[in-house]
Amino acid sequence: MKSTKSTTRRNFLLAAGLGGAGAVAAVATARKPATGAAKGAKVAQGPQGYRASEHVLKYYKTTEV
Amino acid sequence: MNAQAAMAPVTLHRALPPEEAARAHFYALLARLLKAPPDGALLHAIAAAPGLDGGGSGGLARAWGELVAASSVMDADAAAEEHEALFATMGKPVVSVFAGFYTGATPVAHPRVRVRSDLAALGLAPRADATEPEDHFGALFEAMRVLVEGGAGRGPATLDEQRRFFESHVRPAAGRFFAALGDAQPSNYYRKVAALGAAFVALEAESFSLD
Repeated sequence: MKSTKSTTRRNFLLAAGLGGAGAVAAVATARKPATGAAKGAKVAQGPQGYRASEHVLKYYKTTEV
Repeated sequence: MNAQAAMAPVTLHRALPPEEAARAHFYALLARLLKAPPDGALLHAIAAAPGLDGGGSGGLARAWGELVAASSVMDADAAAEEHEALFATMGKPVVSVFAGFYTGATPVAHPRVRVRSDLAALGLAPRADATEPEDHFGALFEAMRVLVEGGAGRGPATLDEQRRFFESHVRPAAGRFFAALGDAQPSNYYRKVAALGAAFVALEAESFSLD
């Protein structure tokens, strides 16, 4: 029965420790990279962070269809 | 104009249950740590975070506790160097952060093409300023976050939609990716990230099988 399965899944997640959203929520407000916090801003163009490196650009070329 | 016609459509969103909110936060955190190294503020926030409620000795709770402990002694410069050494080297990276690498992707029907197509079917598209391909694990986890908690102008996806995206694009490659990340020689802080990611993806896979 659907509702029983949903309850089982919820209980499973709660038993795994996901009932206290606060644990991870505490980091949610700090999760944006400092260089790209504003919506629409370019993210991580400086020395820190992921960027479109030469490797990524090569990867793009090898996967074009 | 009658009163009914003048009424704007109203959309009500129920608050997410705590366990669903926690899933969204885990996806957000993993996406953030894979896209860029943690800065000082994020390290501080993780270090100050409490343990998982009722997690006992479970794998996720243990991995979370170890990441919290590691964050308290890690500095942002070292994290940036480690992230660069793992993911952003010139030529072949030490660890590929692209799902297609782990699924034997071919240029035809490449995972990023299918990810884009599946996201479009869900009414989503990568941000215009996104710099990473769609099968970058940071992008995949960010997509899962939006599906779980809503955002980008839409509410949460159904559990079936979440499961389909997870089974199609995350599960086939995530286990091998996190194993590679944990085993990589430069991994130190990211060994803890890999353990957390592996535990969380395993938990997700099992939970989807229960519903």
